[in-house]
Amino acid sequence: MKTLKNLCKSEEKLGLIGIALLVFFLIVALLAPTIAPFDPYERVGKSFDTPSSIHLLGTNDIGQDIFSEIIYGTRFSLSLALLASFIAIVLGVLIGVISGYFQGVWESFFMRLTDFILIIPFLPLVIIISAYFSGSFKNLALVIGLTAWPSTARIIRSQVMRIRSKDYILNLKAMGGRDSYILKRHILREVLPIIVYRFMMMANSAILIEASLSFLGLGSPTIKSWGTILYYAQVRNAFLTDAWVWWILPPGICISLLSVAFLFSGYYVESRLNPKV
Amino acid sequence: MRKLFNRNRKLYHYIILIFLVISFNFFLPRLLPGNPLVNIMGEDISLLTMEEREAVIERYNLNDSIFKQYTTYLRNLVTLNWGTSYSKKQPISSVLWAAAPWTLLLAFSNLVISTLIGIYLGTKAGLKRRKKEDVYLLSGISFISSMPSFWLGMIFISVFSVNLGWFPIYGGYSMWQNYTGISKVIDVLRHLFLPLSTLVILSISNIFLPMRYALIEVMGEDFVFMAKAKGIPQSIIRYKYIVRNALLPVFTVFMLRVGYIFSGSVVIETVFAYPGLGRIMYDAISTRDYPLIQYSFLLISLMVILSNYITDLLYPLIDPRVVNQHENT
Repeated sequence: MKTLKNLCKSEEKLGLIGIALLVFFLIVALLAPTIAPFDPYERVGKSFDTPSSIHLLGTNDIGQDIFSEIIYGTRFSLSLALLASFIAIVLGVLIGVISGYFQGVWESFFMRLTDFILIIPFLPLVIIISAYFSGSFKNLALVIGLTAWPSTARIIRSQVMRIRSKDYILNLKAMGGRDSYILKRHILREVLPIIVYRFMMMANSAILIEASLSFLGLGSPTIKSWGTILYYAQVRNAFLTDAWVWWILPPGICISLLSVAFLFSGYYVESRLNPKV
Repeated sequence: MRKLFNRNRKLYHYIILIFLVISFNFFLPRLLPGNPLVNIMGEDISLLTMEEREAVIERYNLNDSIFKQYTTYLRNLVTLNWGTSYSKKQPISSVLWAAAPWTLLLAFSNLVISTLIGIYLGTKAGLKRRKKEDVYLLSGISFISSMPSFWLGMIFISVFSVNLGWFPIYGGYSMWQNYTGISKVIDVLRHLFLPLSTLVILSISNIFLPMRYALIEVMGEDFVFMAKAKGIPQSIIRYKYIVRNALLPVFTVFMLRVGYIFSGSVVIETVFAYPGLGRIMYDAISTRDYPLIQYSFLLISLMVILSNYITDLLYPLIDPRVVNQHENT
């Protein structure tokens, strides 16, 4: 028992840290209106104020409280990451299962498509597509979700192909088990841990992509997200003054913590998944 | 003979991919919702006079059939007749040619340096599996890779350029000095240092994680156990048996990540105002100069496809089994 415990120790520790962080951000997002001392959309002080007991992290260029902005930003970044990864995972699993299980024409079509999308540099692709849309919440989630599925589809396909040739599946087929039954009851169940792992990885990168897009000015300028806070800090040249300590440092730390939280939780799932590791 | 065919098959594969990217670039603005004139020209269209508007329609043959537009587009593309950028008031091709070398410099030095560091640290962590060193390296590098690249760049500028004054704040070279020879090289390197370090720090995990994973998998293989049983010295087992075999899957990952690593430079160039393609793309986005966005996207994609092709050609050198496999089939 003790050796077993040692085995997964490192990933388990990291996993616990990850889950704790996720819970923390979830609480902050849910309770944002109660935690935040000010309404982040209102002018509550003078512009470019330094941190004080009233404004913990000072104020931005138009006198909004940065601390409150960051707390409200949690809502946007967290929900966007979850929605975008959800879209990407649903598409990836659907396409992966179809091409892995049924094969045939659809498989070669989908696999060429994934080849194509995977070879295009990802960020420029997302940038060029979002340049044509306004950066609303829905659009950002759709653009990220619709471009991020191929790697998941690849992995799910290879797993489904491995599982479908297992003896017990062949037995089920010989006994007349229908495809829908085999898929739902057995194949999806076997790939479920991988789906969870991929979801975590997807959310990890979705947060960073959203931040990058908002930073490049492709997000919505009126929504409070961590990326837009940094966008305005960059536009107002905050990194050339002392303001970087309270204007640039905190949102970036939040982005890193949330995205690493997903990564660590993913490690935990992975260590449970692959007995060799 | 067979070998030649296989090499050519790869080449055809990549030619088709390039063709698809080029077509994608053409159809994207035309198939998206909204006025194609706005999608092609950018939002400045409302500022243009009637005649200029006519000239644009003429230039892109927007009144012709889509097929005619497409062939014209292809012809213009091949003859480097890419039109004029409205925000830069310069031919698009000359804007991009001036920028491409900077991106290549940044991306390739990053690719080489981060791969070497990634392999080194990955080996260190993987061989010390479940020891303190491994956990620290794994959690540290995971955390670093979760930092937004532009943010790390901003922090570096604040700390090293503004507060300590060690490095220039922006650009790829000193604009108002006429350096020549060795001092020019030093000037370029000084400007390169911060953007490159930011990129390297963030790219390490792309190689580190697969390397560590591959090592751990190889360490569980029977032949390693056998070697241990035979009493082969540990250092030989480690480097001749484990590390060499673990490098194979890492190289595959490396091929997949080339595009990723190129992507990183788009954002970093923006932060450091580095004169590369990413910076051009950013300027084009902020003025909604769509033709310029499109062609910079195209050029970046072509660079990535080309580097993928090169790594693909190198693969048989590293793993001879790949060639044998093809010959057997």
